[in-house]
Parts: sequence; structure tokens; C-alpha cells
Amino acid sequence: MNSDAPVIDVRGLVKTFEDGLVRALDGADFTADKGEFVAVQGPSGCGKSTLLHLIAALDRPDGGIIRVNGRDLAHERDLSRYRAREVGLVFQLDNLLPTLGASENVQVPMFELGFSAAERRERARKLLEQVGLEQRERNLPAQLSGGERQRVAMARALANDPPILLADEPTGRLDSDSGRRVLDLLEQLRSQRGLTVVLVTHDAEVAQRAQRIVRMLDGRVIGEGVAGVAPESRTPSSTG
Amino acid sequence: MSFSVMVLKNLARRPIRTALTLLGISIGITTVVALGVVTSGLKDTAGEIIRLGDADFMVAQDGAADLSFSIVAAEDVEKLADYPEVERAEGMLFHIARVGSNPYFFLIGRRADDLAGNPPPLREGELWAAGAEDEILLGSRAADDLGAGVGDTVEIEDREFRVSGIHQSGRLWEDGGAYAPLEVAQEIAGKSGVVTAVFVSVEQGANPAAVAAGIEEDFPNLATVTNVDDYAKVDQGIQTLDAVNIAISVLAVGIGAIGVMNTMVMSVLERTREIGILRAVGWSGRRILRMIIAESLILCVLAAFVGAVLGILATRAILLIDTVSNLLEPQYTPEVFIRALVVAVVVALVGAAYPAFRAVRLTPMEALRYE
Repeated sequence: MNSDAPVIDVRGLVKTFEDGLVRALDGADFTADKGEFVAVQGPSGCGKSTLLHLIAALDRPDGGIIRVNGRDLAHERDLSRYRAREVGLVFQLDNLLPTLGASENVQVPMFELGFSAAERRERARKLLEQVGLEQRERNLPAQLSGGERQRVAMARALANDPPILLADEPTGRLDSDSGRRVLDLLEQLRSQRGLTVVLVTHDAEVAQRAQRIVRMLDGRVIGEGVAGVAPESRTPSSTG
Repeated sequence: MSFSVMVLKNLARRPIRTALTLLGISIGITTVVALGVVTSGLKDTAGEIIRLGDADFMVAQDGAADLSFSIVAAEDVEKLADYPEVERAEGMLFHIARVGSNPYFFLIGRRADDLAGNPPPLREGELWAAGAEDEILLGSRAADDLGAGVGDTVEIEDREFRVSGIHQSGRLWEDGGAYAPLEVAQEIAGKSGVVTAVFVSVEQGANPAAVAAGIEEDFPNLATVTNVDDYAKVDQGIQTLDAVNIAISVLAVGIGAIGVMNTMVMSVLERTREIGILRAVGWSGRRILRMIIAESLILCVLAAFVGAVLGILATRAILLIDTVSNLLEPQYTPEVFIRALVVAVVVALVGAAYPAFRAVRLTPMEALRYE
């Protein structure tokens, strides 16, 4: 892969639901460079989460191209290795497994990489330390606050050292104080690890934390700009 | 955390459902074990009967539904004794009588010289002499049950016999009965001039299987039994029990698999979102499959263990009934428990197949959207 090429390169992405009646993505284009922090902002139903899920390979597109680190996701048969190694995912809901403790939840993705039980435990301990939850290793999700759960989810997303972190409204269910702390942590982890971060949000204030903001509407990217500057509009045809 | 800990936590999250499923499968396994133990015991008895009097094989009426119904004419016994390469052919008559509290008293009629030539191990007393008509050699278990010793009188079907001696071979059916003169046994059984089976020993160097094959060819009305598998030629009982055992195993698999499938489908449905999360964080379909099958296997193997223990207890409970304990000597062979384990594993795999397939077929997003 060319070192100048974007880490994430999405072109003309189409995704429909309900037998084509709902067109969630209608030719969306998107790129993110290595180490970049990009926010995808738009109203509910604009297709921003669908875009993120397709980059995370949780689903298959109906058309278009998704290249991540040079891999063409639309044509790869088994995407589980990609999900295990290349991307870390943080959801709006923490999506932790309720019967497992914080450390165990963080260890779950590591099974796919063949770490020993001791290695998994140690890696989880370090990750929980990084997110400030080293004292909560054994606590079940139900025993943690919303903000703490989201921090565990971040530690889990980074369990296998992925180069890309994808966050889908990670502060959507948190109070403003917890949300701010989660975003601080996200930025801190990005700069420490050199992560490429794609953050999806409907909240303009949250989007301002990113280096670049991409705006979406009706399944398309309609403009982009740097944080603090009004987004530059573009027509879908000009992004080709 | 290990993979197995995760599997166990999944099973433990609904303890009552897991326990009830385990109990349901265990009952099927209990039946398989109990029947297996009984069948093994009967096969063992059949194997002992075939070699009665140190014979190489047994000859009886071909196609008899039960060995006790077999009839072999006296002239056939003589012909068998004169058969090439046969060293000895002894006709014996078996008669089942009610004696004391034992409805399965095994009375064996033998000729005095045959008994003297090949006697069972004596505990006390002596064999009855040639020409004796009212003497028996009583089995040790029967003697203990009846409280009879040497010189005492025992009544068998309204006829009184003096106990000349007590034998003890360690075989339940033999020690629970008696040896009587052949003519007397024939008279009691109402089978004058015939025997139940002939026990054949071949000359040194001769091949018993070849001699048995020759006899079967030359005596179309007779069947030779050289091993337990041949026993069905002269007794359908074990074969029937074997068939019942297989049928119950199949039923246990069917019913058990439906129970396990129900539990696993419920469990997988409830966890569809969680399975979506596992897929989202990189778990392969194969690992999800392994997790669901491992849960099912642990459940069923545990049920096999519980079922095996219950099966042993059930057999022991049945043996507390005098009638049964006089007839049956259970055999806890490894085959019985291997069969139970195989049944459990098949139940686990069949029961887990559909839910596992369903879990793997969904894309991570479909699973995550599941409500």
C-alpha cells in the first residue's frame, strides 16, 4: 500500500435495508489518514452508523468499495480476522458481556490471537490501568457506572492493539461530565498509540474534538472541514 | 479467563434450566445404563451356560424361542457322542421350578456318570450316586436361602429330595439351583427321553468351530452355540433385550436431543446480541460454534455421569427384590458406560447443531440488532 494512501478509503458505498426500501447509504465517500481523528456528524438516520459498521465489517455493503489498509472488505470472505486485528469498536451502548467481569470482558477479543491465559490476564490488567479501572478488574458490568462501562469497552476495543478505533456515539448515553472524560481518554489513547480514530456522533460539540469533521445527510457525505471551521459543502458528484 | 470458564459461566447463568435439562437427559441415560447392565448380566450368564461342564460349545434345538423350550432327542445325543472328533457329548435337561421363595430355581438334570466325570466344585457332602432317585446336589445360594444342609430334605414341585452335597461355583443361576438325576428331572419337567441341550467337548487338536459347523450341517434341526453372539439361534430373549436396549438408546437420543435443542435454542436466542458482540470483536464463526457445542457437550457429559450413577442405583434397587436377585447378576461392563457416553455425545451434537448453525449464520450486525 502507498504510504500516502488513506488508511480508510470508502467510495460510492451503498447499503439498503428491508429489501431495498430503505437506502441507508447512497453512494457515500469517506477517507481517513493514518493517525487522523475524524468525526462523522449528521442527524439520526443519515447513515453515519451504517458507514461505521461497514468499515468495522459488521455487515456487507450492497455496492461500492471499502478499502482498509489496502484490503478490499467487500470481497473478503472471512472478515473475523480483520475484525480481530485491524479495528477496535466502541458502541453507544457499552455492549459488555453481563456475566463476565471487567478484566474478562477485555480478554474476550484476545482469544482469536492465541494468547495464553496468563498473557490475556496481564494485557487486560495493563489496558484497564490505562483507562483508570485497575481497581475494578473483577466487577461485573452491572456493578460499574455508565462511564466506567464505556471505559471498559474502550479497553476491550484496544485488546488486540488495532491501528484503527471506531466509536459509534460513545458518549450518547452518558451525562456530560462522564462523556467529556470518555472523550479525553479517547484522545489520550489516540495520541499514545498513534491510532486512527473515526467517531460517529450527532452532537456538534462532540464532533469538535476531532481534527476533521465529515458531515452526512441522507446516506451521503455532504461536506467536511476542520474542527472549529464551518464545514465546506460538496456535491456528491464532486467527490467521485 | 479460559475458554472453558466462559462456557461454564454461560451454563451457570440459568441454573434451574440447566439443571432440569441435565435431569431430563440423565433419565434417558439411566435407562440405557440399567438396561445395559441387565443385558450384560444375561449375556454373561449365557456365556457361562454355553461352557457348562467345561464344554467347547452347546447344541440345542434350532430356532427355540427360549433355551428352556429347546428339545433334543436322546438318539441325537448318542449320535453327537459318536460324531467325528467329538470327545464327549453330555445331554442336560434344564427346568425352572419354584422352590421356597425363588421362582427361578434352576434344576439341571444330568446322568450320574457324567456328573461324576465333570462335577461342579463341592462345598460339602458328596455327589449323588448312580441309581439315586431322590437325591440332589444343592447349590450353595439355594442351600443358604432354604436353610438346608447335607442330609436335609428339600421339596421341589411336590417331590422330596435328600441333599447329598452342596456345590458352589460362584455363578448365581447355578448356585441358586440344584443338580438332579437326569431321569428324575425329565419326570418333573414332563419331558421324558429328551434333553434341553447337549454340551460338546472336542478331541485334543480338533477345531471346535469346524466340528460345530459340521454338526449344524448334519443335524438341520439343531443349532450349535460356540459364543454369546450365537445364543440368539436357540434363545430370542437376549436378542430381544438387545433390541429393546437399542430402541431405548435411540429414544433417549431423540428425546434428549429435543430437550437439549430446546435449551440451547433458548440460550442462543437470549444471547443473540452477545453473540453479535463476540463476532464484532473478532470471534470467528468456528469459535462461536465451538462455544455452543462445548456448552451442549458439558451438559450432556455431566448428564451421562449423573445418569450412570442413577442407572447403577436403579439396578441395585431392582436387585433388592428377591425374585430379581435370584435371576439376575448385573454386569457393570465398560461397554455399558461407553454406550451411555456415546448416547450423551450424540444428544449433545444433535441438540446443538441447529442453534449453533443459526448463531453462525447471522452477520454480526443482524445479531447486534436482535431484540
